[in-house]
Amino acid sequence: MRAFRTRAAALAAGCVLVIALGGEALAGRDPIRTVAVPWAAAGPGLPLGADALGRDVLARVLAGGRELTLLALAAAAAACALGVAGGLWAGWSRSRAVRTVTALSDLLLVLPLLLVAMLAVVVLPGPSAVVAGTVLGGAPLTLRVVADATAQARHAGYVEVALARGERGLSVLCREVLPAHAGLIGADLGQRTVLAVQLTAALNVLGFGPPPPAPDWAAMLRENLPGIGLNPAALLAPAVALALLAGTVAGLSHVLAARP
Amino acid sequence: MAADRARLGGVLRLIVRAGAPPACASVVIFLLAEALPGDSAVVLGGGRATDEQLARLRAAAGLDRPLAERYADWLAGMLSGEPGHSLLTGRPVAELIGGRIPVTLTLAGAALALAVPLMALLAWSAVRGPRPLRPVITGLVVGGAALPQVALAALLVALLSAGWRLVPPVSLLPVGVPAWSRPDLLVLPVLTLALPAAAYGAALLRGAVADAVSRPFVRDADLRGMSATAVALRYVLPAVAPAAARLLAVVGGGLVAGTAVVETLFGLAGLGELLVSAIGGRDLPVVQAVAMLATVVVGAGLTAADAVAWAVDPRGGAAR
Repeated sequence: MRAFRTRAAALAAGCVLVIALGGEALAGRDPIRTVAVPWAAAGPGLPLGADALGRDVLARVLAGGRELTLLALAAAAAACALGVAGGLWAGWSRSRAVRTVTALSDLLLVLPLLLVAMLAVVVLPGPSAVVAGTVLGGAPLTLRVVADATAQARHAGYVEVALARGERGLSVLCREVLPAHAGLIGADLGQRTVLAVQLTAALNVLGFGPPPPAPDWAAMLRENLPGIGLNPAALLAPAVALALLAGTVAGLSHVLAARP
Repeated sequence: MAADRARLGGVLRLIVRAGAPPACASVVIFLLAEALPGDSAVVLGGGRATDEQLARLRAAAGLDRPLAERYADWLAGMLSGEPGHSLLTGRPVAELIGGRIPVTLTLAGAALALAVPLMALLAWSAVRGPRPLRPVITGLVVGGAALPQVALAALLVALLSAGWRLVPPVSLLPVGVPAWSRPDLLVLPVLTLALPAAAYGAALLRGAVADAVSRPFVRDADLRGMSATAVALRYVLPAVAPAAARLLAVVGGGLVAGTAVVETLFGLAGLGELLVSAIGGRDLPVVQAVAMLATVVVGAGLTAADAVAWAVDPRGGAAR
């Protein structure tokens, strides 16, 4: 049952990711060209109607997830890698430096992620600000989770056996502790991805994302809000796409976290 | 005597914990201006000033003094409620912020008032609700916490405004009209802020509730035949109160930051919208003042949470 749920969740998240990343190539429609009057309703050749500038909504939805998803994945991977490295070190070592780093990361944890990212936008371009915000707001969470798991594993039988064999600490961490917590880290990577998607969507809606003609799910929300009465699909389609992306990744992460 | 000293230590710790986030944030926020290419003299000079004129502007604004001295000045200005003037409009920042506070306060207050009971209800029913409903509620909580706020905003607009025609799609509050006088304009922004906050909080609180429920004193109370409500209020609530209070402070902080998105999307002239437009215009004094205000609010929330945890601790707080 559990294996089935994991597989189903992985399949759902995988499908959504493939469509988000490769949708434009699959469809072969032009997301930039004006093909109808603004906010034209759905009709033949335009299954989801047109947007604020009369562009094909379906084409824009299929093309508008690529940059956002890639950015979110990159930001999440950076946050998770940093958090795992810090967590392994903090859970294993008992030095004074550990306490300083943990205190600093706890301090970061209480600052709202979105505020941190918005301040980063002042000095950095939008994508770098997403990475900075996800790393600053997400890595401390990963660090805490991994440090707890590592501290517990330190006295587990398999670790003591490896240490008794004469293996060095770093090798035990990488070859014994890390694989033992693969599920935990996978779940954590999923949560950081959700966080990064939320952050990217928020910053792009605020206008710090890719410049206008480029299709983007979050920017589409803002562009097509005024046309809700004429073509609701122009607003609903990118909203559903964002919800599916975040929802399926969160579902996979939830199933992974529940595994023993 | 020892108890007194311990209590003093607890109070001191509360003060340090309240001050640390804003203090650290203040350094970073101050340094933002340094990290930007070109300073306020360049902005004031409009790009056409000669080097000599720029030097005069810098001397007049005190920009040629050492960094630490300028930081102290800047911080003193913040603390005394005079954070300078907007680079774009020249108006005092305090006046700009003062005009925006009522809208944001109404919005965040209403959202928090909705989110807190909803969060408690969701966390409780995910653990102890009717058995067949538990996975459904857990799914709702996990999905709701993952849903990007902007996507929820769009779905709510489509449902409540375009679908059922209950409320107008954008708020566009007229200038000078207090936000609470038009509750119909606040429905969408408040729901957009409150629902993800409640789901996120419930997702984290669920674990604490499950831990508390499995404790022996709760099982004893169940076996003694106490009603579920009495068990929840007398045993589970005090056990989860410290975690819930801290969680609430973090969720509240996120909610304050979230007003930026919601106000911009729905066209409410609040603090969040001010911050976003100031970032767009590189109007550093405004950005810095609003960001400082937000971190002070977050610090205050955390202190309140610590005070709650300290107060409900059966060991008298001093033991912590």
